[in-house]
Amino acid sequence: MREHAFDRRGWLRATIGVIATAIASVLGLVVGGAVVSPGLAGRREAWRPAGRLSDIAPGVPTPITIRVTRQDGYYEAVDQQVVFLVKSQSGGVRALSSTCTHLGCHVSYDADKKVIKCPCHGGTFSPDGRNIAGPPPRPLAELSARVEDGRVFVQL
Amino acid sequence: MMKRPISLADWLDARTGYRAGLRHLLDEPIPGDVNWWFTLGSVLVFLIVVQFVTGATLTMYYVPTPPYAYDSVRFITTGLAFGRVLRGLHFFGASFIVVFAVLHLLRVLFFGAYKTPREVTWMTGIVLLLLVLAFGLTGYLLPWDQRAYWATVVTINIARSTPLVGEWVANLMRGGPVIGALTLSRWYATHVILLPVALVIFVVTHVYLMRRHGIAGHFNPRPLPTSPFYPVHAVKDTIVIAAVFAALFTCAMVSKAPLEAMADPSGAAYIPRPEWYFLGLFQLLKYFPGKLEPIGAIGIPTLIIALLFLLPLFDPEPERDPRARPRVSAIVTLVVVAVSTLTWLGFRDTPKEQNLEAWEPRAIAGQDLVSSDKCTRCHAAGGAGPDLARGRINRDDQWILGHLADPDMIAPGLRPLPATGLSGTEARAVVAYVRKIREAAPPPRIAPDVRLVMDVFGAKCVACHTLDGDGGKEGPDLTHAARKPGHDAAWFVRWISDPAGVDPNAEMPAFAGKLSDVQLNAVAQYLARRH
Repeated sequence: MREHAFDRRGWLRATIGVIATAIASVLGLVVGGAVVSPGLAGRREAWRPAGRLSDIAPGVPTPITIRVTRQDGYYEAVDQQVVFLVKSQSGGVRALSSTCTHLGCHVSYDADKKVIKCPCHGGTFSPDGRNIAGPPPRPLAELSARVEDGRVFVQL
Repeated sequence: MMKRPISLADWLDARTGYRAGLRHLLDEPIPGDVNWWFTLGSVLVFLIVVQFVTGATLTMYYVPTPPYAYDSVRFITTGLAFGRVLRGLHFFGASFIVVFAVLHLLRVLFFGAYKTPREVTWMTGIVLLLLVLAFGLTGYLLPWDQRAYWATVVTINIARSTPLVGEWVANLMRGGPVIGALTLSRWYATHVILLPVALVIFVVTHVYLMRRHGIAGHFNPRPLPTSPFYPVHAVKDTIVIAAVFAALFTCAMVSKAPLEAMADPSGAAYIPRPEWYFLGLFQLLKYFPGKLEPIGAIGIPTLIIALLFLLPLFDPEPERDPRARPRVSAIVTLVVVAVSTLTWLGFRDTPKEQNLEAWEPRAIAGQDLVSSDKCTRCHAAGGAGPDLARGRINRDDQWILGHLADPDMIAPGLRPLPATGLSGTEARAVVAYVRKIREAAPPPRIAPDVRLVMDVFGAKCVACHTLDGDGGKEGPDLTHAARKPGHDAAWFVRWISDPAGVDPNAEMPAFAGKLSDVQLNAVAQYLARRH
């Protein structure tokens, strides 16, 4: 008799446990999906106009401000991003990110010393983006760039 | 000798005594004649938990400011994984709570469970019902669509009709002289902070009092042995909760929580309607016009609530069988029938939902203006301005109108300086288009000749004339322009070219020279078909 009572209570407990787990799983899936999904969305890059090649002096990193519109959830954010365009003697162009590879500060070009410097911790880069002094562990990131009818486009 | 390691649960119990607490919670002796009707309270607690969980997730994305509220709700619905279901669970969950709160209340009424010593339990229950309705009311405004905005206008006007303090109450609800940013943020704060805190306090009190006095049980108790709440009765609760959750989830999956066009305070043609559980009150107001309105709006609802709240004091006899309490049973039945009838009448009179897919001529004209070189020089993928075709313009109408009037002023530094050269009516058409795109309404596929007419109508005629509910009121409504005898295409050509030539008293300006022959003929033929 006792054993029978125990079995019945065990079944009831199991039923409650199974249903509660099922409801929590469905609710957890919906809530979890909504919480996690924006973090999984990749960033869309596009070719953006970055001025005319003829305006850039060869070998000198030229800062160009590019207006980047980006979908940020429910609104379209507009960022002003600075890239350094470096024209080679052969007429090709490279685009360097202006974000220091140490801790993410914005670097600027020192025309007197002919180096790109980071104001935060003194990181120094050569005009072609190599890390030459201070804490930066890597060269400045290089962005894809192309020239079309004398106009420079950078992928951001 | 090595000490035997104790389990984490034992360790925790030794320090907190949680097992004894759980036993106290779960081993409550329940009368043997407690049946399935007694699961409604547990269902309500479950539904409240669902609202808390889904509501907390929605607050991660919702922004309570007029420029972003609507877009953030649209983003939740379309931009998140399971976002539509999440919002659906919260939206339909509110209705489920109202339904089960009323069923719970009716069960307590008919079982006479509000009688001594449970009077205060009953009163806290009535407060909980009011809190649930307040949640519905404050949550209704948050999507900031037409339905939300205009229903809130009506709600605040109802509050305004309160004698003596009406104006003061309305100002308090609005946070200022008009419904706007301050209204939205205070309703949001009430919805997500003040009401939840009050709800938790009253639910805890309600459950504490229920435990203190025990479950009332059946009104004709049978001498059956009691059994512990867990698992014997808990399994009944769980099964009903599973069925309710399945129904709620099905609603959220199958049906969309509504989101109409963005709130437009100037769109006075919109016919407001409340959420279904306020339809009875909405309908009641129709029978109390003018000065009598406060009776329907404030008097009768307050009286019903006060009667409900004080019911245990009016009905102090210990008898609980509803057949032995004919007066109370009759009054309750009467109120239920009255509220149900009013709600049904309200449903019957509810205007049809606006068809978001339908594009008015103004929006179609706006689409063509936006696609023109005037706009696309800057507004294109990779251009200086955002791509308008992607439709993420988070600016209000006034900003867009200002930008169209003087782009340099509102977005300085643009070179070459755009010269939009749009008329006021054309600028309004662009605004209509941006609003349409913001609603994510797919652009309609219409024949080129009709599009030509829409372009002309939306950019010129709409300033004075209405077509299909959209447009100015200065001139006649052209929805059925061809109904008048003699109004054929040739007549329309003559009239539009030179109205004074047809009727010397005509006030309409002549459009000869302002429209090409192709445009003029297309408009005339189109209007001649509008019977």
